[in-house]
Amino acid sequence: MTKTSKKLRLGFLALAAGLLLPGIVLADAEYDALQAQVRDLAAQLEAVQRTLAQIEQKQEEIPGTQETAIAALKQDIADASEWRTPNSLIHLAGYTDVGYINPENGDGSFAVGSFSPIFHFQYRDIVMLESELEIELSPDGETELTLEYLAIDYFLNDYVTVVAGSFLSPIGQFRQNLHPSWINKLASAPPGFGHDGAAPTSDLGLQLRGAFPLGEMRSNYSVYVSNGPELNAVFEDDEFELEGIAAEAFGADADGEKVVGGRFAILPMAGLEIGVSAVTGKATVTGLEDEDTGEVTEIEGAIARDYDVVGADFSWMWKNLNVRGEYVRSKVGEALTGTTASEGATWKSWYTQAAWRIPATKIEAVVRYTDFDSPHSSEDQQQWALGLNYLITNSFIVKGTYELNDGIAGSRADNDRLMLQLAYGF
Amino acid sequence: MFSRQSKQIFPAWVRYALLPALALSMFSVATAADYPQPGDLAKGSMLWAENCGRCHQVRNPQDLRDDQWITTAFPMSIRAGLTGGETRDILTFLQASNAVIPTAAVTVTSVTVATDAPVQSGKEIYTQTCVACHGADGKGALPGAPDFALASGPLAKSDDALTQSILYGYQSPGSPMPMPAKGGNPSLDESGVAAVLKYLRDTFSH
Ligand code: HEC
Ligand code: HEC
Repeated sequence: MTKTSKKLRLGFLALAAGLLLPGIVLADAEYDALQAQVRDLAAQLEAVQRTLAQIEQKQEEIPGTQETAIAALKQDIADASEWRTPNSLIHLAGYTDVGYINPENGDGSFAVGSFSPIFHFQYRDIVMLESELEIELSPDGETELTLEYLAIDYFLNDYVTVVAGSFLSPIGQFRQNLHPSWINKLASAPPGFGHDGAAPTSDLGLQLRGAFPLGEMRSNYSVYVSNGPELNAVFEDDEFELEGIAAEAFGADADGEKVVGGRFAILPMAGLEIGVSAVTGKATVTGLEDEDTGEVTEIEGAIARDYDVVGADFSWMWKNLNVRGEYVRSKVGEALTGTTASEGATWKSWYTQAAWRIPATKIEAVVRYTDFDSPHSSEDQQQWALGLNYLITNSFIVKGTYELNDGIAGSRADNDRLMLQLAYGF
Repeated sequence: MFSRQSKQIFPAWVRYALLPALALSMFSVATAADYPQPGDLAKGSMLWAENCGRCHQVRNPQDLRDDQWITTAFPMSIRAGLTGGETRDILTFLQASNAVIPTAAVTVTSVTVATDAPVQSGKEIYTQTCVACHGADGKGALPGAPDFALASGPLAKSDDALTQSILYGYQSPGSPMPMPAKGGNPSLDESGVAAVLKYLRDTFSH
């Protein structure tokens, strides 16, 4: 090697070192930065992978595809319809009313009528249990609970239903069809059609009812056998007298005498129904009523008397007008021997009612005339009842009723009454 | 951010794709009760209008759910003296007419009136599906049904508004009885509605 080349090489080296050194220092700083970036990226990648793994895991837990999602929804819907349409159905219906009564010669008073829950239990289209309770508040503040009816309806076929148990009397219309307060267009029952009047209220026995076409007309029927009513007597003016018919369902047949009865109705055209009813059998005095206190003591040894009821009813609906009427007569025969031997007695009553809904309004005007004839002249009553109702909904009604009563002067039957009522059927 | 999204189980498109399927299944739910057998809808609406107001105010079909109408129709058939067949017809009508009626008007932007002739004439549709409530004279056969013959009556409204009322149902504020969607007859389509609306105008407007 020559000296000059040595020098040259040294010069080169020095130059290279001079040039590279700062470069190496620079590269070192960049390297650190890059390393830091890579570390960051690795950490981020790890985080992303972790999240991805979590999502994947979650998607495995839940149905991720459309098919499985649909299957899951279908299952949910099937579960929901299971709830909606089982073989057994349960339904709570009923009605209640509250009001204010102001008699002509007495003080006005707020009153609750009754709370009447109705239970419907049904198994498919085969059988139904129908029961109504009546919970009432007596004037002295006690709560009274009555079983209005409790019947098993067996839907035998399209034309016959067997009704077994205690049921509303199928005689006439008022008791079975109109007495619930949201249905009755006036705040009171027509005289003779309440409890202890001319018309039977309920029965315990076996009833067949149904409907069938009669040529172009439609018809419906009900026939029954039941325990029948019991009678009360009173001792007055040194002799026995029939006081009243307790024509309600009795849990046991005190006199062992059954009654048979029924109703048959035709609908010759849409909106018009005409029915006739009859009951026949025996009834016995089982209670003696104290003339002064009205308390009833049980008695035995009375002989069975003839018991006969006849009735006729019609109802006609034409546009906004509804006209209906009903006649019923209950006759109890004489008993010449036995305890409480006495003459027979007859209770009868009829009413006609017209209700007109003023077109395109919620207002309804009602008028009803009733003539009730009892063997006790103090109970005889002729009544005009006028009503004005406001139908807030089809089953929530404000009623104002004024009764013009005509009876023996000074008797309760002669007292006019103003009644305001709020009735709700649910 | 991830956790919020993962709560929505299905992506939006899946949910939208599922809607028709869901709607279809809901329909089968609504008619899922396999008892009693279905009846005749047109006869049912007629029998309902003729019988269910004899003793009390006609109850609004929307008052009860499908299953509650079963537990009501059976005891009512005993009261009202209806045969099993008549009861099934009425029940079919009630269960078809109790759907909720949209209160906020559904806006039908364009009513496409089908050009092909409807299967039934407007008159046929009216006498089958509408007459029970609206009456042969169009004056209304039950409380709440309007008088079509009145100059200020519903026929004063536009075709679009009336088509909407018939298709989706209609209830004016405080009315005791709504107009059920399609008069309770699910098979009534838009061309049928157009035909029956034309019949209403031709027959009842002055
Ligand atoms: C013969 C009279 C009569 C006729 C006709 C009648 N109902 Fe009733 N309805 C009643 C009586 C009475 C009640 C009160 C409840 C009871 O005592 O069971 C009632 C109650 C109701 C209730 C409320 C209680 C419940 O069970 O949900 C509805 C809803 C009802 N009826 C619907 C109808 C329908 C629908 C028809 C036509 C098929 C009809 N009613 C025909 C007499 C009648
Ligand atoms: C179940 C009874 C019922 C049936 C069936 C029925 N309607 Fe109605 N419709 C009503 C009642 C009630 C109203 C009034 C509703 C209101 O004002 O709230 C009404 C209102 C209407 C109106 C006026 C709507 C508006 O926007 O003012 C038209 C139009 C109409 N119905 C057409 C029909 C036609 C067409 C059919 C047969 C396809 C039919 N309806 C079947 C009960 C019925």
